[in-house]
Amino acid sequence: MVQFSLWDIFSFLLGAMRWTVLLSLIAFVGGGLVGLGLLLLRFSQARGVGLAVSWYVQIFQGTPLLMQLFLVYFGLALLGMDTSPMVSAAICLTLYASAYLTEIWRGCVNAVPRGQWEASASLALDYQQQMRHVILPQAMRVAIAPTVGFMVQIVKGTALASVIGFVELTKAGQMISNATYQPFLAYTFVGLLYFALCYPLSWWSQRLENRRLA
Amino acid sequence: MTDTNPPAFSLVDIRGLHKRFGATEVLKGIDLQVRRKEVVCIIGKSGSGKSTLLRCINGLETFEAGSLSVDGQALKHTDRDAMRNLRQQVGMIFQSFNLFPHLSAGRNVMLAPSLVKGIPRDDARTRAQALLERVGLGPLFDRLPEQLSGGQQQRVAIARALAMDPTVLLCDEITSALDPELVGEVLQVVEMLADEGMTLILVTHEMAFARKVSDRVVFMHQGLIHEAGTPDEIFNHPQSPELQQFLSALRD
Repeated sequence: MVQFSLWDIFSFLLGAMRWTVLLSLIAFVGGGLVGLGLLLLRFSQARGVGLAVSWYVQIFQGTPLLMQLFLVYFGLALLGMDTSPMVSAAICLTLYASAYLTEIWRGCVNAVPRGQWEASASLALDYQQQMRHVILPQAMRVAIAPTVGFMVQIVKGTALASVIGFVELTKAGQMISNATYQPFLAYTFVGLLYFALCYPLSWWSQRLENRRLA
Repeated sequence: MTDTNPPAFSLVDIRGLHKRFGATEVLKGIDLQVRRKEVVCIIGKSGSGKSTLLRCINGLETFEAGSLSVDGQALKHTDRDAMRNLRQQVGMIFQSFNLFPHLSAGRNVMLAPSLVKGIPRDDARTRAQALLERVGLGPLFDRLPEQLSGGQQQRVAIARALAMDPTVLLCDEITSALDPELVGEVLQVVEMLADEGMTLILVTHEMAFARKVSDRVVFMHQGLIHEAGTPDEIFNHPQSPELQQFLSALRD
C-alpha cells in the first residue's frame, strides 16, 4: 500500500485550492458584473423589468445552491452543450452570486436618501446619469462591507461544485480520504484551508464595516 | 379668491390642477399664473398643499387633472425628453439642501452643466467658480458639503441650480432647516436674485422676507388658493377669516 506523508496530502490539497480560488474569483467577478446590470434594471422605470429581476433574485434565494448546480449541469447537457464541470460550476455560481449581490446592492441603493434622486432629477439628469454620478457612488460606500462579506459565502459555495465532479478543495479532500482511509485528517486539512481563505475576508469586511460606522 | 387678472402671457401657467395622495385630495383645482421676472411667495399652514404644488411644477409629483406649462411647454410626465427640457428651465432648491455629499462644492455645481449641457470641463469649472463667488463662497470650491455650515450648503445648492441657467427657480422652504443665525445669508442671496430679475416661486414661512421681496403673495388653504394679492393686501388687509387667523397665529 502506498504511504502518503502529511506533506503529500497538504500539497495535493493546496494544489486543488487553486481551483477553489479561481472558481470563487470567476463567480465573484462574473456575479458582480451581471449583478450590476440587474441592479440597473431593477431600478429602471420600464414596466415589468424590475419585477422580473426581483423574481430572478427570489428563485436563486429560494432554492438550494446544490440543486441549482445539478440543474445547470444537466440542463446544459440537455440543451446539447457539452460542458465541463468547471464551466457549469462557473456559470451556476455566477448566476447565484449575481442574484445575491443584486439584492445586497438594492438595499444599499435604497439607503441613499430620496432627496438625492430628487435633486439630480431637478437638474435634468437622466436615469443613467443619476445612477452613475449621484446614486451609485454613495451606495458603494455602504456596499463594500457586505459585498466583501458575501465573498465568504461564495468561497464556501464552491465546495458544492464537488458534487458535479469538479476537483476543487472539497473534492480533493474526498479523494485523499478515500486513498488514505483517514477521512478525519483529510477533512481537517480541508477545513483549515477554507478557514485560511475565508477568515481574512471576514476580518476585512468587519474592519470596513467598523470604519464606515466610525 | 384667486387672481382675477391673469396676464396675457405667463411663464408658468397652472390651470385646474388636481392632485391626490391615495384618498386624500391635496390640490383641489389650482389656478396660478406667474409672469417672467415675477417673485411669488406661497404661504399657508403645513398640509395646505403648497410644497406639493411647487413639486408639481418641475414634475417631482404627478397630477391627475389640470394643465401646467412652463414657457409655453406643457408638462408631460410620460415624455422623458420633454421632462428633461422642462427641468432645464426650472431649477429647484430644497429644504434639506440635497447636495451630493461625495462631491466638492465646486463639483456639485459643475455636474449638471457638464452632463446635461455637455459644457467642457474647463468652462464648467470657470462658471462654477464664478457662481460660487456670486453666492459668496468663492474660496470654498474644494470643500465637501459636510465641511460646510447649513447656510453655506444652501448657498452652494443655489449656485448649483443657477448653473443650469433656469428661467424660473422654485424654493421649497429653503431656510426651514437652518439655524436662525444662518437664515439671513441665504435670504440675502435670494433677494439678490430677485433684484436681478430672476423669476422666483417660493414656499416660505419667513413672512418678513415674503413681504419684502414678493410681487405677489399667495395664501393656500386646504388644497386651494384661498387669497392672493400684493404683500400689502395680504399682510395688511387680509380679507378671509382663514388668512386673518393664519397671520394672527404667526404673530403670537
